[in-house]
Amino acid sequence: MKKGYLSLILHAHLPYVRHPEFDAYLEEDWLFEAVAETYIPLINVFDNLINEHIDFRITMSLTPPLISMLTDELLQQRCLRYIEKRLELAEKEIERTNNQSEFNQIAKMYYNHFHDARYVFAEKYQRNIITAFKKFQDAGKMEIITSCATHSFLPLMNNNVNAMRAQIHVAVNHYEKHFGRKPRGIWLPECAYEPGIDQLLKEEGIRFFIAEAHGLLFASPRPKYGIYAPIVCPSGVAVFGRDLESSKQVWSSKEGYPGDFYYREFYRDIGFDLDYDYVKPYLHGDGNRSNVGIKYYRITGKTNHKEPYSIEMARDKAAEHAGNFMFNREKQTEHLDSLMDRTPIIIAPYDAELFGHWWFEGPLWIDFLFRKIAFDQQTISLITPLEYLDRYPENQCAVPSASSWGYKGYSEYWLNDKNDWIYRHLHIAADRMVVLARTYPHTDKYSIQQRALNQAARELLLAQSSDWAFIMKAGTMVEYAVKRTKEHLFQFNKLYNDIRANAIDEKWLCEIEHKNNIFPDINYCIYQ
Amino acid sequence: MKEIFLLILEIFKALIEILWEKIKYVLKILWIRFFGYEEIPQEKKEAVVEWGVTGEDEWPGITETETKEPQVKERAVSPPSAIPDLPDSYGESRIVLMQRDPLCLFCYWELQQVKIDNFLKNLSTLAYGARLVLRVYDVTNILFDGNNANKYFDSVLVQGAKDWYIHLEEPNRSFCADIGFLTSDGTFHVLTRSNTITTPGMCPSDITEEQREEIEALYEKVYASMAIDTASHVPESASAKWQRLFSHILSSPETC
Repeated sequence: MKKGYLSLILHAHLPYVRHPEFDAYLEEDWLFEAVAETYIPLINVFDNLINEHIDFRITMSLTPPLISMLTDELLQQRCLRYIEKRLELAEKEIERTNNQSEFNQIAKMYYNHFHDARYVFAEKYQRNIITAFKKFQDAGKMEIITSCATHSFLPLMNNNVNAMRAQIHVAVNHYEKHFGRKPRGIWLPECAYEPGIDQLLKEEGIRFFIAEAHGLLFASPRPKYGIYAPIVCPSGVAVFGRDLESSKQVWSSKEGYPGDFYYREFYRDIGFDLDYDYVKPYLHGDGNRSNVGIKYYRITGKTNHKEPYSIEMARDKAAEHAGNFMFNREKQTEHLDSLMDRTPIIIAPYDAELFGHWWFEGPLWIDFLFRKIAFDQQTISLITPLEYLDRYPENQCAVPSASSWGYKGYSEYWLNDKNDWIYRHLHIAADRMVVLARTYPHTDKYSIQQRALNQAARELLLAQSSDWAFIMKAGTMVEYAVKRTKEHLFQFNKLYNDIRANAIDEKWLCEIEHKNNIFPDINYCIYQ
Repeated sequence: MKEIFLLILEIFKALIEILWEKIKYVLKILWIRFFGYEEIPQEKKEAVVEWGVTGEDEWPGITETETKEPQVKERAVSPPSAIPDLPDSYGESRIVLMQRDPLCLFCYWELQQVKIDNFLKNLSTLAYGARLVLRVYDVTNILFDGNNANKYFDSVLVQGAKDWYIHLEEPNRSFCADIGFLTSDGTFHVLTRSNTITTPGMCPSDITEEQREEIEALYEKVYASMAIDTASHVPESASAKWQRLFSHILSSPETC
């Protein structure tokens, strides 16, 4: 009998960035980097575990924008181009470092990494890596959950319930289209919850979501097991709370594993370090230096002095950290088990892109962790939130407190002097979308009016992405976030005016339909 | 003659400079080829924080030495294109309340000039000296009818202001706001009314269901001093208190 359960949750999300109007676009690299450095290495970990018959459970949220991009033909083609360019660079690096053995073996590691990425992406999964995740789900090893349609921060749009409902409804339909059944769980973007949202989840048949720790700790009535068992909202939807102790060991840049001095240094990239003319073919058209994904140094210490990376030592560290994480969970659950009359569950959610992209050894750490849990101990076992609910169908009923996992635990990161200007425009657009849906309840199939109404819904959803407010506050790539927000709102407003004036510009509509092609099956009537 | 001499001298200097740059470049290439990396002076390096990680905004962190110099540099958006302007107003009069955290609301509004003009016209002589005011009501646990608020406070609006952060005294309350004219006779005339919003609590609920002693004891210990200050990171703060209070019960020895 196990004394505790561990539920590892990876939240995979990127904002919808697709620019068919240009041959290459800097911000599209976010996706390609994540594919090459995070998603494919994770897929390899899970594939290997399955091939070796090692049992594991993991939960992953794949957001609708991410799924849309990963299944888009144009972006798939560009992603392959990206991987091939990196492979070409890695090959050159092997030659360039020929006389430097310690760098040369790292160059070979990158070559193997990109060579494998190309094989997995182009051949094994035929450019559609969503099929890999579906395979893991169908094998019973992974629970894929959804998120909001465009990762909107729901509590900041709570003056229009129809708009909130649309974010969830579109996501659920999108999930069903790709995975053949409805989602059973949802990752509320930024874990942002306020009472009432659970009712909207219930309407869509969702059974559970994840909240920040104080969402449960401050729930009413007091949850008797704190964050170590789910509670059930009055709507009947279950809530699991994030365990901060386990999160911190991975998240924290100071105390967390990823900051270990033997791990790879993210900020020493040859895109900045090497001769400009040498790396120029791998930079973007604007010629600005940027990361190209090949980095030779380890973190080393807190100064700018960096030592060369050692593959073996980093691997040993990943194994050691996996062991340490498992040991701490064992001890944690042993203590909890003595206090609870049921088996405790520890919820450990992380941004998926942390693993591999930022923390290069992250996928390896997961691999070690899952193997160690399978073979090296008897105290804990991996579980998905849904499996826990199946084992413990009766849970305490309580109303969680409004909360998010962002800075200070509420909405401040998405509502401050850097981004508060967006809300007056977003709210009026949402209200106008409801007006449109109610004014034109019936339109002819494929008519220009129906197409314009559907496109208006797409533009609204894209404008509502929480990523833009986040970027505005974070202070990097702000210009792009502002541009996207203004562009989608401008396009929405023009559609609103054109539809009402019965003067839709078909040529322009075609252009934006082609450009912002997310959710091809959307039906604007969801806003009625 | 002197001018020609100076000109030749300048040309000669320029040629020497070009030649020196070329020699430096060739030497650098040779250095890199035979000795490995070019040592980039650190002040040139850019720590580009990219998209990818949200959550606690902790990772990736900037090390102590990095924070001494501003390292985060905006990369150019590629390719640039004109950003269409959004409307300054939408021809409506409205006020919206939003919750930032348990102790802070954000409020924005838009007022139609025609509506203000008509309103003042109807106020007749009272319009003289009337002040445009934001009135925030505490409507906790009541069905608000405009006159039965638990309490309220007024803020005179500054010309041109369009939004405001409202700092609150206590969490777990409900609020509604009006914008209107406060006339010289002390009467408040509502122009537009906001939505109602409820802020969350910042401590464990007083309501308990469980009577089991050990669980009660557990909660007493955990929550005894868990009054959260929003100046700090709430999950972190809640967690820290949890850790401190329960280090001997809940946490593993290694992490405490």
